[in-house]
Amino acid sequence: MAPLLPVLLLAAAAASAPAPAVTPIEQEVDLCMSCHGDKDARVELPGGEKLPLFVDRAAFASSIHARDLRCTDCHAGMDEIPHPERNVKSTAEFHAGFRDACKACHFDKYALSQGGVHYKQFAMGNDAAPGCVDCHGAHDVFPAAKPRSRISDTCSGCHPDVADTYLKSVHGKAMADGNPDVPVCTDCHRAHDISDPRVESWIVKTPELCAHCHTDKTMMAKYGLSTAVVDTYLSDFHGVTSTLSRARGSSAERRAPVTALCIDCHGVHDITKTGDARSPVLRANLVKTCRKCHPDASESFPDAWLSHYEPSFAKTPLVYGVKIFYGVFIPFIIGGLVLQVLLHLWRVVVNR
Amino acid sequence: MKETFLRFSLRQRLEHLSVMILFLVLAVTGFPQKFAGAAWAQTTIRLMGGVEIARFVHRLAGILFAVLTAVHLGTAIALVLSGKSRPSMVPGRKDFADAIKTLRYYLGLSDAEARFDRFDYRQKFEYWGLVMGGLLMVGTGLVLYMPLQVTSFLPGVVIPVAKVAHSNEGLMAFLVVITWHIYNAHLNPDVFPFDLTIFNGKISRHRMEHEHPLELARLAGERPHTEHEPELVHDGKDA
Repeated sequence: MAPLLPVLLLAAAAASAPAPAVTPIEQEVDLCMSCHGDKDARVELPGGEKLPLFVDRAAFASSIHARDLRCTDCHAGMDEIPHPERNVKSTAEFHAGFRDACKACHFDKYALSQGGVHYKQFAMGNDAAPGCVDCHGAHDVFPAAKPRSRISDTCSGCHPDVADTYLKSVHGKAMADGNPDVPVCTDCHRAHDISDPRVESWIVKTPELCAHCHTDKTMMAKYGLSTAVVDTYLSDFHGVTSTLSRARGSSAERRAPVTALCIDCHGVHDITKTGDARSPVLRANLVKTCRKCHPDASESFPDAWLSHYEPSFAKTPLVYGVKIFYGVFIPFIIGGLVLQVLLHLWRVVVNR
Repeated sequence: MKETFLRFSLRQRLEHLSVMILFLVLAVTGFPQKFAGAAWAQTTIRLMGGVEIARFVHRLAGILFAVLTAVHLGTAIALVLSGKSRPSMVPGRKDFADAIKTLRYYLGLSDAEARFDRFDYRQKFEYWGLVMGGLLMVGTGLVLYMPLQVTSFLPGVVIPVAKVAHSNEGLMAFLVVITWHIYNAHLNPDVFPFDLTIFNGKISRHRMEHEHPLELARLAGERPHTEHEPELVHDGKDA
């Protein structure tokens, strides 16, 4: 049990005459920085760790909070000098004390994050699970998505492998070139209410997730991409299974693939252009992709899948022909039968 | 003279009951897959315990349907070839003439009604629709059941072709049943509310006179009845 820091220069700071341009916030920051501006300021915790007390004033001054927040808005109770004694045993425990610091102003985001996978990790006893400041910064809080590359940079702090894979994907490369259309981490995983991506009920929603952009006609037209990809998938066998499994909504971890989802053929973080030589959905590579789930697939098995094309006379005359045949035949037969029923009823009425 | 005829043998009645149950099971487990995006389909699948269970039941019912079809056709062909049964379901020129005659009668162009033998043209149409449609459903169903095996010797495109055919043929069969069959077996004023003949096998002399006069005449003349031909069933009073 140790007082965090005895403040000795209180009297001197309070006595200095306020210059006309100095705001009350700056005044308070000046006061705090008189101790916390010292790069070597540390306090030893009972566990033996040395907790640094230095705050980079320049970083705080450029943050979005600099104009509106005083130190004590977040560091509640620290307006007493010397600071009240606190019973903190480790750095992790000290940081955990700030998990609710943003709640008062950002309650909506706070509430969302309570349902997120990071909070769940923390609640299960993982002290390293990120809280607000781990992604947004503590004193150096900047807009999270400016520039957008900041988002994947933030996530790569803890998820470097995934972030690296993403940066090499068709989406990641375009993002690095400043393309605002491609998804960054949070577009698929969300920012605060991040779901556990291993859970079946979330994974079976990937067609919806991809559909968000890939059914946007204006956006897809820019890149010459088809917007029929989702509907053609959903109407095929795998799509039907995904739709009907979604209805089940199991919260268990996905052990074996429920069915082939977008990500199972195209990849997840390593998505390439479909024409890329490495693309798992390129016809030359497709048998190998099918064999991930169907080890006995023959060379002609991938042709069972119409590659996201609607049946057409040019691409698949046989499928198209059968479809057109029934389009004519069903109304003809049913119409004929209903007509005969109506004629019979009419005759029955006439006979009476 | 109160007389009732035995129109269908026990085996025929059981065949109808089986095909009826299997048809219903196949429709209930099949349509939610065809219309997977609809809320009712997802509810139905959930009530059945999931798409895996629905598919298992659908395939099992499909196999039973295939067996039933094979047994029925095999038996029918054997009985006809051995002379134990008349090929009463085989359509002939008279059926087309009957259809035209009936339509003219319905339209009021003529007051002459067609006179039918054991099965009228509508019954033959529905029977052959069921047989041919059933064979198509069994064939395409097997292709969809075993796509890996099928594509080991056939081109991959047979799978989507089979899927489009299976899905549409199934829809057509269902629509035929809910319009044509439900009308003929239930809503038709002649039999309303329920034609029980296919369940208890019995048909009245009155209905025989109206619906199958040629058969009645043939029975009265020869009486060479076998198990597959109607036989006279006396109700006991004036036997």
